[in-house]
Amino acid sequence: MNELSDLMAADGRGIAAANSPDRVWAVPRRLEQAALIALQLLGLCALNYAGIWFVRRTGLPVPGNLIGMVALYALLALGVVKVAWFDVTGSFLIKHLAFFFIPITVGLMNSGPLLLADGLGIMLILALSAAIGIILAGWVSQVLLRASGDVGGGS
Amino acid sequence: MTQIQIAAVASFGVAVTVGAYVLSLLARKRYPSPLTTPVLFSTTIVIAVLLGSGISFADYGPAKQIMTFLLGPATVALALPLYKNRQVFFRNMVPAGCGLLAGSLGTMVVAGLTARLLGFAPSLTSSIAIKSTTVPIAVEIAKIIQAAPALTAIFVVITGMMGASLGPWLMTRIGIIHPVSRGLALGAISHGQGTAEAIVESQLSGAVAGVSMGLAAVCTSLAAPYIVPLLAG
Repeated sequence: MNELSDLMAADGRGIAAANSPDRVWAVPRRLEQAALIALQLLGLCALNYAGIWFVRRTGLPVPGNLIGMVALYALLALGVVKVAWFDVTGSFLIKHLAFFFIPITVGLMNSGPLLLADGLGIMLILALSAAIGIILAGWVSQVLLRASGDVGGGS
Repeated sequence: MTQIQIAAVASFGVAVTVGAYVLSLLARKRYPSPLTTPVLFSTTIVIAVLLGSGISFADYGPAKQIMTFLLGPATVALALPLYKNRQVFFRNMVPAGCGLLAGSLGTMVVAGLTARLLGFAPSLTSSIAIKSTTVPIAVEIAKIIQAAPALTAIFVVITGMMGASLGPWLMTRIGIIHPVSRGLALGAISHGQGTAEAIVESQLSGAVAGVSMGLAAVCTSLAAPYIVPLLAG
């Protein structure tokens, strides 16, 4: 079971190791690190644009970045690329994913009246639908898991 | 505005946003609460500063474009945790797959239907229906089904907070105790925030949640263009 170490790696441990104090003064190392991050970013950007291009070309009603994600998964599964090729930059971006949402949600400054008028109803819908979704996903999977003899040992 | 003014406002916008984000990370460390969620906390600060300095959302546009440039590659990178944790999902393929479909589609239909019953406009109803997908993908789906991206993003964030804070309690109440099921439900409905909560519950739950969040995005992306227009009317 290496899931825990994987999850920790997804929390940007690579970056932390790269910036550890004993390396800060080692200029060639830092240059190497910067080049690595730039290359990994370039790879992720290339996949993103490939996804956007594919969606435009085929007219499929799916997000281009989702196609990029599926493409990266497929390349990993096929062994064409390795996790280590993207890990440092990818983990850093995922760790700070929330930052990139902020400029989008700032758009709410134009939706004040709507939220004031319908805010309560919206909160009720969000709570109700989240609760039903959680119950459905949890209950359906648990019934089927138990039917296959896996009781899971509780939590 | 002249070129120089545009550049100045853009730099100011970026500086304020980065500053607000850093502040939110500190605030969350010091006072962990749903109110110090980075997106909610930072958005409030940025809007307050922009309103205070008389900058409109349109003026903030160039800054927004600079900062969201990395959102695409960041979304692509979500394939990494998906790939790293794939085994735990494949081991429970049928139960996890059925649960994921039921949860993702169920929450979409319930949200869309109740929004319509309350008489919400089609674009608002569409924004609400896709709120269980992680933000970068939800925003893109929003453009495809003619929903409002900013509203969609905030509904996604609120859903994340609600599910992550109340989901574990709710599941315990109604007897959903299997760690795979709990992780699956948290990741599918409350995406990143739910996954963070599942990691705290157990290693197994966290791994399942990471995969569940990615697959829920795939599932919602594929279904939304066909289902949401029916719900939104």
